[in-house]
Amino acid sequence: MKRKEFLSRLIGEMTDFLLEGDPLRLVVSLHQEEDGAHLSFFDDQERTEREIEKIRTALNPKRNRPELAAYYGTMAGRDLNLGSRLKLIGWQIKQATVTNNNPGIHIDLWLGSDSFIVPKK
Amino acid sequence: MHKRERTLYLLMLVILCSLTLAGVILEGPEDLLGKLLLLQTRGARLISDFTVHGVGLALLNVASVGFLGLVLVYFAAINLSGPTLATIMTMMGFSFFGNTLYNSTPVIIGVFLASKLAKVSFGSYSIIALFGTAIAPIVTYLSFEIGLAPMIGIPLGIVSGIGIGFILPAIAGTLLSLHQGYSLYNMGFACGFVGLFIASILNALGLLQPLAVLWSESSSLALTLVVPVMSLFFIITAFTLERPGEMLSGFLGVQGQIGRLPSDYYESESPSGTLLNIAVLGLIYWLYVLGVGAPINGPVLGGLLTIMGFGGFGKTVKNTIPIVLGVFLTTLLLGNSPASPSPILAALFSTTLAPLAGQFGFFIGILAGAIHVIVVDVTASWHGGLDLYNNGFAGGLTASLIISVIHWLSANRTREDFT
Repeated sequence: MKRKEFLSRLIGEMTDFLLEGDPLRLVVSLHQEEDGAHLSFFDDQERTEREIEKIRTALNPKRNRPELAAYYGTMAGRDLNLGSRLKLIGWQIKQATVTNNNPGIHIDLWLGSDSFIVPKK
Repeated sequence: MHKRERTLYLLMLVILCSLTLAGVILEGPEDLLGKLLLLQTRGARLISDFTVHGVGLALLNVASVGFLGLVLVYFAAINLSGPTLATIMTMMGFSFFGNTLYNSTPVIIGVFLASKLAKVSFGSYSIIALFGTAIAPIVTYLSFEIGLAPMIGIPLGIVSGIGIGFILPAIAGTLLSLHQGYSLYNMGFACGFVGLFIASILNALGLLQPLAVLWSESSSLALTLVVPVMSLFFIITAFTLERPGEMLSGFLGVQGQIGRLPSDYYESESPSGTLLNIAVLGLIYWLYVLGVGAPINGPVLGGLLTIMGFGGFGKTVKNTIPIVLGVFLTTLLLGNSPASPSPILAALFSTTLAPLAGQFGFFIGILAGAIHVIVVDVTASWHGGLDLYNNGFAGGLTASLIISVIHWLSANRTREDFT
C-alpha cells in the first residue's frame, strides 16, 4: 500500500507540474520491479536549455534532506513554485534524468531501496 | 561535514556557552543544580515566565535545552541548516517560558518510537520531534501540578509525553496540508489540535486548572542584551563565511523569498545573507519591543528568538512587517496596549503567517495579522495553555481560513474549465 500511495503521489505531482505548461500530449510510463520502480514522463512542451537545466538541478539536489523530505514531502503537488516542488520530489527519489526531446521533455525518475540499481544511460 | 555547517555548529556552541556562562555568573555557583532541578518541577503552561524564578536560572535552562536540540540534530545525522536552526532557536526561546529538559525529552522519545514503528530514520522525523516539544507542558502538569504523589505523577507525565509524541507525526503531516505551508509553526498547529483533546479530557476529569499569567515586568540588563549580542554573533559569523558584497546580495535575495514551508534560505540563498537576515530580524523586533514599551522578559525573548530562528526558514524583513503591522493596528483599534502580554506576544509570534504576506502581498499580510491577533486571544483557553506555540495554533487556523478562500476564488475561474 505504501508503494502504491507513494507512486500515485509522485505521478500526481509530476503530471501536475507538467500540465502547468499546458502540453497537447503527455505520456506517463511506469515500470515496477521488486525493490524499485522507474517512472518516465514525456510531453511536447518546448523549453529552453536553461529551463531544462533548472528542472534537472531541482530534481537532483546536492544533499539528502531526510528532515525535509519525509515531513514536507506531502507539500509537493500543491501550488509550490517550480524549484521548491521539484526539489521536494528530488529529496524523495533516488535519481532523476532530464532530457530535452525538442520539442518536449523526457523525465526519468528512479526510486527504490538501496539495492535497486539505477541503470546507466 | 561542510565548512558552512561546521561554522554554524561553532556559532551555536559559542551562543550556548555564552548563555551558560552568563547564567552561572548571574545565578552564582551555589546549589546551581538544585535550582535547575527545581525549575523542572515548575508549572510550564502558558504563560509561565521562568525569568521570575531567576534570570540566570532561565538562561541556564535555555542553554540546556539548546544543547539538547543541537546534540539531537548532530546525532540524527541531518543538516544544521535553516530548518534545524529554526527548531533549536525556537526551543531555546520557549525555554524562557515553558520548555525544560524534563518535559521536552519524553515528547522527543515518543517521536523517536514513532519513527521506529514507521521504519524511517529518526532524522526524517527530527523536525517534528524538536518542534513537538511545544506540547511539553503536559508532562510537567501531570507530574507536579494536579496533586498526585511524585511516584505516580512523574511516571504518568513521562508516559503521557511519550504517547503524545508518538502520535505527533501522523497529525503534523495532515494539518500541514490544511494550511499548505502558509503558517510556519505547523507543529504549534498540530500540538494545539492535540491539546484540545487533552484539555477536554482533563476538564472532564475535573483536573484542568484555570490559566494563570506569570509575567515579569522588571527589566534586566542581561535579558535586554541577549538579542543584540546574539545578533552580533550572527553578523560576525556572516562576515567569516562570505565577502560583504555576497552577503549583501544574499540578504537582498532572501528578502525576495515568499517563505512558504519548507524554504531553507541557508541552502537556497546565501549562508551569510541568511545569517544577516536573522540578525536584522532580531534587531528590528527587539527595537519594536522597546519602542512599544514592553518588558524584555522570558516570553518576549522567546518571541524574539523564534523570529530570529525562522530567519533562515521562512521569515524575512519584508514578509514579516505587514503581519506585525496588522497586529499593531488592530490592537490599537480595539483599545488595547501593544505592550500588554497578549498583544506583544501576538505581534512577535504572528510572524508565523509571514508566507501569506510573501505570497499574496502587503494587504493580505495586514489582514492576516488583524485576524490572528483576535483569534489568538482565545485559543490558549481551548487547549488549556498546554500548547506553548499557541500563536502557531491560531496562525494555522488563520492561514487555513485565508488560504481556503483565496484558493476557492482562484479555482473558480471559468476560463480554466473545458466548458
